[in-house]
Amino acid sequence: MQRKWIVAALLFVALSASSAYAVAEDDFIGWLLNFQRQKNIKPVVDKQYQEECSECHFAYQPGLLPAKSWEALLNAEALRRHFGVDAELENDTLKVIHDYAVDNAADKSWYKRSRKIAVATEQGPAPLRITELRYISRKHRDIPEKMIKGNPGVKSRSYCDKCHTQAAKGIYDADTVDIPNYPNWNGWFSK
Amino acid sequence: MEYKARFRNAATAICLATISGIACADDTALDLELSASPRMYAEQVQSSSLRSSLLPANDEIVAQETTSATPAPPAAQFKSPWLTGRKTHQYLGLGTVLFAGLTMLAAPEDGCEKNCPSQSSPRQTSGTTHTRLARTTAALAAATVMSGLIVHWNDIHWEDPFTDPDKLHARLATAGALLMLYAVDKSAHSSVPTSHSGAAELGAAAMLVAIKLTW
Repeated sequence: MQRKWIVAALLFVALSASSAYAVAEDDFIGWLLNFQRQKNIKPVVDKQYQEECSECHFAYQPGLLPAKSWEALLNAEALRRHFGVDAELENDTLKVIHDYAVDNAADKSWYKRSRKIAVATEQGPAPLRITELRYISRKHRDIPEKMIKGNPGVKSRSYCDKCHTQAAKGIYDADTVDIPNYPNWNGWFSK
Repeated sequence: MEYKARFRNAATAICLATISGIACADDTALDLELSASPRMYAEQVQSSSLRSSLLPANDEIVAQETTSATPAPPAAQFKSPWLTGRKTHQYLGLGTVLFAGLTMLAAPEDGCEKNCPSQSSPRQTSGTTHTRLARTTAALAAATVMSGLIVHWNDIHWEDPFTDPDKLHARLATAGALLMLYAVDKSAHSSVPTSHSGAAELGAAAMLVAIKLTW
């Protein structure tokens, strides 16, 4: 009987202690004792990163690619040919954005989807396009082309936030998907 | 006896309150100040003529199109359904751990796994609070695994590495459910006191870790 109460007390202490780790995810213990949800991708909290990236496109969370990808994408030479466009930045700005992306990359995050991306991209060359990640393309392969490319409200998988209504917060759950012009696509089992 | 019952009820209430706190934290965890990012993004992309040409899209045709037909993000209007297959799986998993805890608290005070005295009456293997809770826990564990197979079948792939979080989650949760089922079965078919709490507690712990891995 006494053992039961000891176990229950330990459980209670562990749960209570976890509340102190509101934003902790720097180390394994921090992650283990953090009972806040970390299922998705860490949202962007850097204002400069948010502003600079969203001038042209959705500010993709750094946790969507591993550090080696951000290293390859966010340097002066690569930005001059950023997917066919000159997206050059001032050195100071580039450093801030580069450092933020690398520090919060998938392989440095404890968030579940980031960890999935990190373990799947450990081997091989650095992926440069989020939409070409095996994990991302697999999650979208059952969605007919007419709902993406053929959909004037979406057009491309690159526009994450067209369907993922909480994408700006880093939430990509299927339960939060609302495909424009196809409001009833998600059924019970397709979720 | 009355004192013990009160103490037990208080402990249960504390556990439930703690779990409620976690559930509350779940809803607020990611509600961060994002420097008004969704609104800012929506405003900027709607006004920027460069948007389509700078878009890192795969398909060239998209990059060449104008963006006039692209509406603003629908975040404000959409409301996630309160019950879906995934949420059902989540609730079942949390329910399993909760009931496992209650089962542990309701365990009879035999305290004898060695040198047990001979019993004058047959051992009760049904009808007690502990056995009812244990069977409910086992049923919830089985339902959790089944619902996980149904709604998350597309999240587990052979080509993914061993350390993939979803794979680890599935392995641990299945092992945990099997351990709990084994413990219930072992105890239910024994007419003498039998050690089954270790397997049950290990199963509950495995399930707890499995939940944490994908929480």
